[in-house]
Amino acid sequence: MWVWFAKLGSPRWFYELSGKWLPWLYAAMTLLMLVGLTWALLFVPEDYQQGHTIRIMYVHVPVASISLACFPLMAVAGAITLVWKMKLADMVAKCVAPIGLWFTGLALATGAIWGQPIWGTWWAWDARLTSMLIQFFLFVGVIALRSAIESTDAAAKACAVLAIVGAINVPIIKYSVEWWNTLHQPASSISFDSAAPNPPEVWVPLLIMIGAVYLLFIISLILRTRNEILIRERRSQWVTDLITRSQS
Amino acid sequence: MKSHRKKTLGIILFIAAGLSVAIGLSLYALSSNIDLFYTPTQVAAGEVTPGQRIRVGGMVKEGSVKHSEEQLQVNFITTDYAHDVDVQYSGILPDLFREGQGIVAEGSMTPEGQFVASRVLAKHDENYMSVEVKAAMDAAERQRVMGQIQEQGQSQGNYQ
Repeated sequence: MWVWFAKLGSPRWFYELSGKWLPWLYAAMTLLMLVGLTWALLFVPEDYQQGHTIRIMYVHVPVASISLACFPLMAVAGAITLVWKMKLADMVAKCVAPIGLWFTGLALATGAIWGQPIWGTWWAWDARLTSMLIQFFLFVGVIALRSAIESTDAAAKACAVLAIVGAINVPIIKYSVEWWNTLHQPASSISFDSAAPNPPEVWVPLLIMIGAVYLLFIISLILRTRNEILIRERRSQWVTDLITRSQS
Repeated sequence: MKSHRKKTLGIILFIAAGLSVAIGLSLYALSSNIDLFYTPTQVAAGEVTPGQRIRVGGMVKEGSVKHSEEQLQVNFITTDYAHDVDVQYSGILPDLFREGQGIVAEGSMTPEGQFVASRVLAKHDENYMSVEVKAAMDAAERQRVMGQIQEQGQSQGNYQ
């Protein structure tokens, strides 16, 4: 297992392997995205309370759930950087931050667009919305911290600490709707009964959309990380070989 | 694992655990301030002073909504099924506002115990379903209630 772990830490190994994965990931993402979007936007029946507004959920829930996965991922990568000084872990931690920022921003924006017709307001200072806004600023903070420190190693350490500390916000976001009374509704429990609230006709397309957006996230992360590998390893033999081969 | 790595990992886990406890305790201490609204039970218990700007959240009580004839003014009762708060509001209500719906009203209590709202927001619950499913559920519920009434009628008939 440790051999595998050490191998995974090698940027070159990751670059070569992810290159083989990418076509499959593209294919799976395109398929799920096409099926999910068509189903969610055209075939999901109108909600008995919200009408067509329910379709916003099929974007809001996937982007929000992925934004919550980004911070723990960055924290774990940061911990690996601090303890094992694995080069690849810090590259992933650096690359996941802007993606997490985007997904958090999208979750806040789609939530506001949904809130205006349903709640009657774009924004409320309730625990769920506020903790999500804090996560948005934490991502801004991590990105700013990294660009403020010139030395790659020092920046890696500082960002790792901030990521580990900031990850405490994630359970707060997740359970805010249960711990406090909020305007945001709690998580739904899905039902396999087609004559009950949250029937399969509502959540199966949502599951497909979550899968599609997860793949989109993984692809974006891999592409960014591959660029970062090439930039940081530009002086190594295998990268120069790669460039001469692509030029010839 | 090498000893210096163990030490770094130990420090990280210690800091993370310490911070979690610190943040957990401060959130616990702040918990009533993090709540978005007061419940009618909290209002009845006197946790709110008249004139203080607050939010009250609850269900719109069935049959309590009274619209004014000429103005936008509306009176309704919001309830948590233990206590009620009498709400007076003048303005546009959200589309989802109706009897039995969860709402959050922003405003203040008058000394007479009425809540004058400057804004009313609708809360959405965690149930999503199509018009057809909702209609089928309502029909099943009606049938169940009708069956109960019939059963009661029969058992009463047996006594006579």
